[in-house]
Amino acid sequence: MIEFESVTKRFPGGGVGVEDVSLTIPTGKITVFVGPSGCGKTTSLRMINRMLEPSSGRILHDGQDVAKLDKAKLRRGMGYVIQQVGLLPHRTIVDNVCTVPFLLGRSKARARADAVALLERVGLDPVIAKRYPAQLSGGQQQRVGVARALAADPPVMLMDEPFSAVDPIVRESLQDEFLRLQHDLGKTIVFVTHDVDEAVKLGDQVAVFGGGGRLVQVDAPEDLLGRPRNAFVASLIGRDRGYRRLSFVPARDLPSHDVVTVSTDATTREVHETSERTGKSWVLSVDSDGRPVSWLDGRGDGDDLGRVPVGNTFTDDDSCRAALDGALASPAGLAVHVDADGRVVGGVGHDEIARYVTSLRSAEGGTAEDAGQDAAVEADA
Amino acid sequence: MIEFLSVNQGRILGDLEQHLYLSLLPIIIGLVIAIPLGMLAANSRWANAPLLGLSSVTYSIPSLALFIAMPGIIGTKILDPINVVIALSLYTTALLFRSVLDGLRAVPEPVKQASTAMGMRRARQLLTVELPVAIPVVAAGLRVAAVSNISLVSVGALIGVGGLGDLFTYGFQIGSYYYIGSGIVLSVLLALIADVVIVVIQRIATPWTRARAAR
Repeated sequence: MIEFESVTKRFPGGGVGVEDVSLTIPTGKITVFVGPSGCGKTTSLRMINRMLEPSSGRILHDGQDVAKLDKAKLRRGMGYVIQQVGLLPHRTIVDNVCTVPFLLGRSKARARADAVALLERVGLDPVIAKRYPAQLSGGQQQRVGVARALAADPPVMLMDEPFSAVDPIVRESLQDEFLRLQHDLGKTIVFVTHDVDEAVKLGDQVAVFGGGGRLVQVDAPEDLLGRPRNAFVASLIGRDRGYRRLSFVPARDLPSHDVVTVSTDATTREVHETSERTGKSWVLSVDSDGRPVSWLDGRGDGDDLGRVPVGNTFTDDDSCRAALDGALASPAGLAVHVDADGRVVGGVGHDEIARYVTSLRSAEGGTAEDAGQDAAVEADA
Repeated sequence: MIEFLSVNQGRILGDLEQHLYLSLLPIIIGLVIAIPLGMLAANSRWANAPLLGLSSVTYSIPSLALFIAMPGIIGTKILDPINVVIALSLYTTALLFRSVLDGLRAVPEPVKQASTAMGMRRARQLLTVELPVAIPVVAAGLRVAAVSNISLVSVGALIGVGGLGDLFTYGFQIGSYYYIGSGIVLSVLLALIADVVIVVIQRIATPWTRARAAR
């Protein structure tokens, strides 16, 4: 656990870095610092491993004041990943990964073997181990940066916009693998980003920094989206917050019901008959294993029957966001509900999803809008 | 010409050897002194300005004046070759100091930040990260210093310390272009060879700079 106790950082030029921040960063969880540039999120991160020293206040790591610990030793216990990666250009990839193990005096052969295994773990081909950083793409370098931070198996990871410099597709795969790794490793992670989507996707806890280096709100992502504390947070998390919030509503309790299906080898006439008998204009074709293939227009003509491939389906483990997306993309207005093996178990309409979400909100009492309008709270930020 | 070379082989080789000694020893001395001074200047605001000023002033002193003034400053004999060695060491130090400082300053900030954040102490970071990364810039300075020293040693002949410059002065005295010509050709060859040797050593010492091109 890392605790900020009334931490303030002022820079000699007079600019305020961080103003009176108190915060608890729980062990084994991802805490994201998010906010606009110049809000003090990076400054706060850099005070944890003493790259910067607070002007006042304390930072405790497992109850110990970090100011009283040896800087170099403290840092070796905290993996560090930055946007520009900062790999050592004169060392091979494997030796870059081994930097901290070598500093700790571990056996070189052992450390290198572990490093190669770690490269695989972060999704890199071990053949790159003998290469130099300049020979790698930006995405590969960032993976090496993550491997290097993990090499000595530190309990804490400090990550400063690690995925901001790579293109959106690579970023998404890095984020997904990062979550998968964290699921296995359970590190205490402090993650800085200016991207709210990233914060909400990765964080177990999100700390929103505002102007003047003040902490505005610390909450679980779904609470942040549902109950932004003031207008600043509401505007930061943006217009799509209602939709984003659906990411945190499980789909398993949606009122899924039977859908009309036909076999993939049904003839045009059979499709027409099925449609007429059930009164549904769109029917779902399923293969012999019961997996959805495409939507067929029961009143369509010709051989293809207005065939539309089934895009996104959802399972019990998905969110209402996935289900709503599937429903909106389907010509029938129905999201296809499948089991773990991908077999159709039912469907749910976008109107039904909307009603379900509305019923949850009234059960909670307040609504997101109520909180958003509560501008008076701004006074304490 | 061939006859001239075979007759004067002893003298020419002797001058060549003296020339090598007088020009290359200062390179080694200069490098050994410039590295710590450069590291000091890169890390101390206090030392930076005076060291930079001193290096500029040193480099602007005319070589012949320094050769002649040396005995008065350090009390050596006027014809002692050590005067040339010390004077050239000063020039080399002044020049390489700049190269070391520039090289250290050119180390990318994220590299330094990451090294610090991984728990490297300052001295280790300087010696195992910043200095190696600065090698290409230092080597460029070394090439300039080597070529410039090889040409400056010739001036030393005017104060009678030998080297290939001796072939010029002797050639003028007896009016032989053979002496002057062989002195010039050997100086140029020596400078070229020294340059190539430094480039080869640098390439071996910095495999990562070649890897970049292979991407």
